[in-house]
Amino acid sequence: MRLLTHNMLQCHVKSCNDPALNFPLQFQEVELEQIEAEENEALLLNLVGKIDWPALVQTTSELGITGLPPTKPDVVKNDPALMKRLHEILLETNVAQGKMVCRGCGHSYPIKDGIPNMLLAEHEI
Amino acid sequence: MPRYLVHFAQFHEDFRLAELEALAQLENIPLKYEPDAYSNDNPFLLVELPSNEDARRLVQRAILVKEICEYWGSGDSYDSLFAHLKTTPERWDDFKTCSFKFLVKAFGGTRTIKEQIKIINTFSFLAFEGPIDLKNPDEVFIVYEDYGNDPILQKALTNPNEIHFGRLIAYSNRDVVQTYNLKKREYLGNTSMDAELSLVMANQALARPGTITYDPFVGTGSFLLTCAHFGAFTMGSDIDGRQIRGARGETDGIKTNIKQYGLDKLILDTLVFDISRNPWRQNNSGGTSTRGGPWFDAIVTDPPYGVRAGAKRLGRKTGLNPELSFVEVEGTVNHLRSDYYPPTVPYEMSEVLTDLLEFAARHLVVGGRLVYWLPTVVDEYSSDDVPLHPCLELKANSEQNFGSWSRRLITMEKSRDWENLTGATIAAAQVSDETAKSTPPVQLGHYNFREKYFSKFDSNSGSSTPNEAVIPAEPTS
Ligand SMILES: C[S@@+](CC[C@H](N)C(=O)[O-])C[C@H]1O[C@@H](n2cnc3c(N)ncnc32)[C@H](O)[C@@H]1O
Ligand SMILES: [Zn+2]
Repeated sequence: MRLLTHNMLQCHVKSCNDPALNFPLQFQEVELEQIEAEENEALLLNLVGKIDWPALVQTTSELGITGLPPTKPDVVKNDPALMKRLHEILLETNVAQGKMVCRGCGHSYPIKDGIPNMLLAEHEI
Repeated sequence: MPRYLVHFAQFHEDFRLAELEALAQLENIPLKYEPDAYSNDNPFLLVELPSNEDARRLVQRAILVKEICEYWGSGDSYDSLFAHLKTTPERWDDFKTCSFKFLVKAFGGTRTIKEQIKIINTFSFLAFEGPIDLKNPDEVFIVYEDYGNDPILQKALTNPNEIHFGRLIAYSNRDVVQTYNLKKREYLGNTSMDAELSLVMANQALARPGTITYDPFVGTGSFLLTCAHFGAFTMGSDIDGRQIRGARGETDGIKTNIKQYGLDKLILDTLVFDISRNPWRQNNSGGTSTRGGPWFDAIVTDPPYGVRAGAKRLGRKTGLNPELSFVEVEGTVNHLRSDYYPPTVPYEMSEVLTDLLEFAARHLVVGGRLVYWLPTVVDEYSSDDVPLHPCLELKANSEQNFGSWSRRLITMEKSRDWENLTGATIAAAQVSDETAKSTPPVQLGHYNFREKYFSKFDSNSGSSTPNEAVIPAEPTS
């Protein structure tokens, strides 16, 4: 699973609705892998407008990935090095194995061969 | 404006005009034609376009077009066609010396090679002096004979009803259908959608570079492939992880197809969850939110209809029993077991549709498209059966008929922000909010479709029902 996708997801256990806790999910015991992605400047700029920057910064630092400014820069477009790094992080950095754990309710969503299982249990729906 | 002749494939007729319109919108080309000039019974349509370059762009992705020609003229006989052509002799001059070839294409009839050559020779008055080159000509001129679509009448005809003539501008993208042919695909399921329609769907969705397409019922991933083929980034999810992974281990599943087609740079992710309980962060623009805008530019999907096709959602028939999550099974708390699978209930078709439209209204960008299949019982169909949503505008509705039942490809476009809606507007819609869920909606033609299908049309073979997939009872992820 790519880090972009991680930024798009939150814990969706029914009773877990504190936005300060149900997002971002915390990666644990992960195995990372780089998979090339098509470069598309327009999309990347578009995504920068949509993603939750603080969540991305928190997640990357938990994973030991560096190269992102702590606050979202006003203009990303004119910074080719940052654009390149963002592309590598959002679109090319994959979690092959591991889990995503909710900081609110503790639900652990397993990731196997890059595919997260986000089905809820009976008491969570 | 210059006129062009579009030559459609005489196949999936009800989808052709919708596809052409979608491509005109995608390429931002003003496309004009007489609405009456189009008929599903005939493969020709005369259109007006600003330029040859626009004509080329219009069909470069088209699946249901064969080619487009610069239109030179028509007639109900060769004499009247020639008279028509002779009104614009200045047109011929540009092609005096280039290499060229002629093609004769007969719709609803056949011409032997000998007859074709005879026909071609009657065009000698055009006085083209360049060499004839059958392999690599500078220009191709096409004679279209139209014998009509009535097989009984056709037999009696020795002469076509109508003849058109034009200069080839561009072939379509129809050859790509072969590339995605299911017969050549490594990972298949019984829900895999045929290549041609999957490609048409990508066109309806305006799938293109720099956008993200999502399939919430991804199955074996047919649409991930075709939308990525046109340059879109794609994602998909399914309640049943086995559909995504396949059953044969390492060399199976959607990832095998991604490799086969070399689309790993565009197909971003597949995930396992129930779309009626999905984890996508709603990301609406406006308000005080610093995060801007929904994620998806298109949703392209073949929803599950009927339990046998895997239509289920999380729940328990007898009412939820949360305690069952915590009972110990073989020494482990039930829901923490690695092979735990939550209980499911049938996902009624009207619920599937309500959820799908509401999801699209929330998660599509404005201008983004929802493209999905809707099965209907032919005798009972009325246009009211197509579910509506105040945020979604119906763009196209194309029927593929299987006799007593049909499936319709529905294309909708998000026309306004979800957040700007008041509760009242949503409730007024046919399908959309909680109220609609708790009080059953009007008995739509697709409502209880499956029950109708089996009670009325069961052909005791049980085959060729909509997206037939036999899903064993307890999938694991
Ligand atoms: C008609 S198939 C889609 C086939 C797909 N287009 C392909 O190319 O294989 C419908 C899919 O929906 C899935 N499904 C059923 N209920 C679901 C739900 N509540 N949420 C997500 N997926 C579901 C089924 O597992 C099945 O794979
Ligand atoms: Zn949670």
